[in-house]
Amino acid sequence: MKAGSLRNVGIMAALLIAPVAFALSAGGYEQRIMTLAGIYAIAVLGYQLIFGRLGALSLAQGSFFGIGAYTTGLLGIHLDWAFPASFLASLIIPAAIACIIAIPVLRLESHYFALATLGISQIALLVGVNWTEGTGGANGLYGVPPLRILGTALDSSEAMLVVVWCVLASAVLAFSCLVKGRAAHRLTLLREAPEAAVTAGIDIGARRLSLFVASAAFGGAAGALQAHSIGVVSPAVLEFQVMVSILAMTVIGGRGHPAGAILGAVLLVHLPEWFRFLEAHYLVAYGAALLVAVIIMPEGLAGLFRRWLVTQERWAPEPPRTSKPEVPTTLAVLHLVGLCKRYGGVVALDNVSITVVPGEILGLIGPNGSGKSTLINVASGLQTLDAGEIRLGNLDLTGMPAHGRARVGLSRTFQTPVQALGLSPLESVLAACPAGLDERRAERHAAACLSAAGLTAPAVPTTSLSPAEARRLDLARALASGPAVLLLDEPAAGLTPAERDDLACCLKHLTDSGLGLLLVDHTMDFLLPLADRVICLATGSVVAEGPPSMVARDPAAIAAYFGEPPP
Amino acid sequence: MGASIPQLLVNGVALGAAYALIALGFVLVINAVGAVNFAQGDLVMAGGFVAVTITEYLTPWANDNLPDLAFIGPRASAVGLGLVILPLTMVVMAVLGLLFSALAYAPLRHRPPVSVFISTIAVGLILQHGANAVFGPEPRVGPPLVVDGNFALGPITLSIQQLSVIFAAGCLITGTGLLLSRSQLGRQLRAVAQDPEMAEAIGISAGHCIAITFALAVALAGSAGMLLSNQFFVAPSDGGLFMLKAYIAVTVGGWGRLDGAAFAALLIGVFEVMMAAFVSYVMAEALLYAGVLLVLLVRPSGLLRETIQRRT
Repeated sequence: MKAGSLRNVGIMAALLIAPVAFALSAGGYEQRIMTLAGIYAIAVLGYQLIFGRLGALSLAQGSFFGIGAYTTGLLGIHLDWAFPASFLASLIIPAAIACIIAIPVLRLESHYFALATLGISQIALLVGVNWTEGTGGANGLYGVPPLRILGTALDSSEAMLVVVWCVLASAVLAFSCLVKGRAAHRLTLLREAPEAAVTAGIDIGARRLSLFVASAAFGGAAGALQAHSIGVVSPAVLEFQVMVSILAMTVIGGRGHPAGAILGAVLLVHLPEWFRFLEAHYLVAYGAALLVAVIIMPEGLAGLFRRWLVTQERWAPEPPRTSKPEVPTTLAVLHLVGLCKRYGGVVALDNVSITVVPGEILGLIGPNGSGKSTLINVASGLQTLDAGEIRLGNLDLTGMPAHGRARVGLSRTFQTPVQALGLSPLESVLAACPAGLDERRAERHAAACLSAAGLTAPAVPTTSLSPAEARRLDLARALASGPAVLLLDEPAAGLTPAERDDLACCLKHLTDSGLGLLLVDHTMDFLLPLADRVICLATGSVVAEGPPSMVARDPAAIAAYFGEPPP
Repeated sequence: MGASIPQLLVNGVALGAAYALIALGFVLVINAVGAVNFAQGDLVMAGGFVAVTITEYLTPWANDNLPDLAFIGPRASAVGLGLVILPLTMVVMAVLGLLFSALAYAPLRHRPPVSVFISTIAVGLILQHGANAVFGPEPRVGPPLVVDGNFALGPITLSIQQLSVIFAAGCLITGTGLLLSRSQLGRQLRAVAQDPEMAEAIGISAGHCIAITFALAVALAGSAGMLLSNQFFVAPSDGGLFMLKAYIAVTVGGWGRLDGAAFAALLIGVFEVMMAAFVSYVMAEALLYAGVLLVLLVRPSGLLRETIQRRT
């Protein structure tokens, strides 16, 4: 275990033990408050998964809490279910509901995702208040049995406190397992550079689903403990206030690190005690604290201690020794057949067919708006195709999602690369490595990809990369999935002549292993000497095709693009 | 005793027109800064309380200084006072809007839109519980726009308040539309909404325009608060539902579209009143949420086409 993570474990242990020890010595009232803090910390941990790590503003976490509470209440009162059966049910039922609502909800853009989850929580509240036979309506359910472990009822405040914080410790453990190592890097890449993540083979839908369901289970667990702790379940557990509390704790504590969940929950649960003079209006203080936190500490309380807290394990910056990639290039021909794409009345691609064979560099030129970027977007799966077929070797990629295409060997870079600034360059590439590699081989592979892309100092912060280096990082990330064909969207734009020569050298070298390149660029003295073949597009159709020297003299290409024949 | 269909329709249109004002303010902020203003509902509530407070100061003054128009009714001297209270409320709220933008938006303008989303949740909390502390949780009644009472149109009885709400909201919506489409200020606001950097490059101060947009959006929320406070009263916890209605209207009407949002808000008002009259209020709410989920299921990018690039 690395020194950083050992210290991390120590800090987490202290954060889990100190509040319990303090409360045990302080007496019954403080014990009940700290129990509540532990309960909320569990719900906040779940919320950190979906909001902190994935960056999706869900407003349903409070409802999962409420549904967990009602599950425990209903099962305990009507069916005499006891711990652990009722507790398990309180994890599974919110998780199952999350699974169902995930279908319409998870593919939405963030502002619609927030609204949809808010709508769902309003429906849950309406059901809680108005389904009188089931939930007891506005009166709620009374007499939820206390926690019972091995036949002993745990109805003392000390016992409840210890049990809640033990569950919290397990939740911290589960949280760490869900987001350790490369999984954490992948989530950061997804959050900060979604298109790059998707085209590096990361399945955004699967990640969202698993984290949303896990967050619901965390929320349900917290609700179940709350029901046992106070013995009553009322519609108040479904009200928006619970969601606001969880959100405030997450933002104030820190949205990424489990320490933030504990700090935020302990602080905000005690806030009403400290603002007694505000009486029932202590929520004004909640609002003010939330506003101050979001303005002056965007990373929350945990962010203030970031020097000691390790969110993601850092890769030890040893120099890359091997330049041999761990994932060999598969040899395959890319066939783009009869591609058509329309934007309203504008025809971007009109029946374009292109083939890229292993080891060749195919240059794609044409004036602005001729369909070059659209071609790369539809080929990589970021945009849908109106008609046509995409095949890689024997595989039909036409209906495949973008991450699937990357996994079977079709990669791309971006005209304006977006980087995940929360990751070091090496971590960005690690995130894009195939999931099948173990950690050691993935590290070797990532180092090989970086050196193949010509990025020699991978341990510097991503924020300090020059534009040329940022392009090289984008290239390294595209190489990490082990592509057969790589689509390059203006890789030389904005580079100095020396950097361009470097890049040309590097690309030539890549084709040695059989990698096929489709190269879009406007810099002719870079592209023409490098390309084996050139295709010229104009208004969505191929107007010239052949060796560079021939295309440069082709009347159609001159009319469409060059303007005058080269001397 | 059920109300007649024309009466319900007037009820629904009056409610929908007020919703449209809320939704307009909501869209203006979305277009200007690309973020959802979660406090919009609480600002409506604040507008209601501002109107209530202004009324408390103005009514004694009016009783003392205005001629008694006894032939109209018992509270005759207050007739038409609402026509003064509405613009006063909007002015106070516009100032609050400037403050709101300085507090909840300006410090976060270089951060992702989700930060603004959270800061507006925080301001909403402060407004709601601040109002609770100052005015107490009990609902308060706001002033009528012109006068209480009904008038008969043949067999149909219509409320003067509701008709005047529809008229006032119609004027405000038209005025906002004209301001944005015809005036130089409106062109500048729209330029900043489309591309703040480009607007700065041609000499428009994006910061000022965004502050003005907030002032306008909050003034519209305040006007809705004043218009709703007579028939529906105003209580500190009202905000959440107003915000939800505006959010839904913007989603159904096309993210970023002013006309779509106003139209959808009108429909939501009519739907709500009709459902509540013939089935139940709970059913109206539930169907509304289920409806918007259905819309998002079928059309994940909203019912009408979006006009702005998705930024959140």
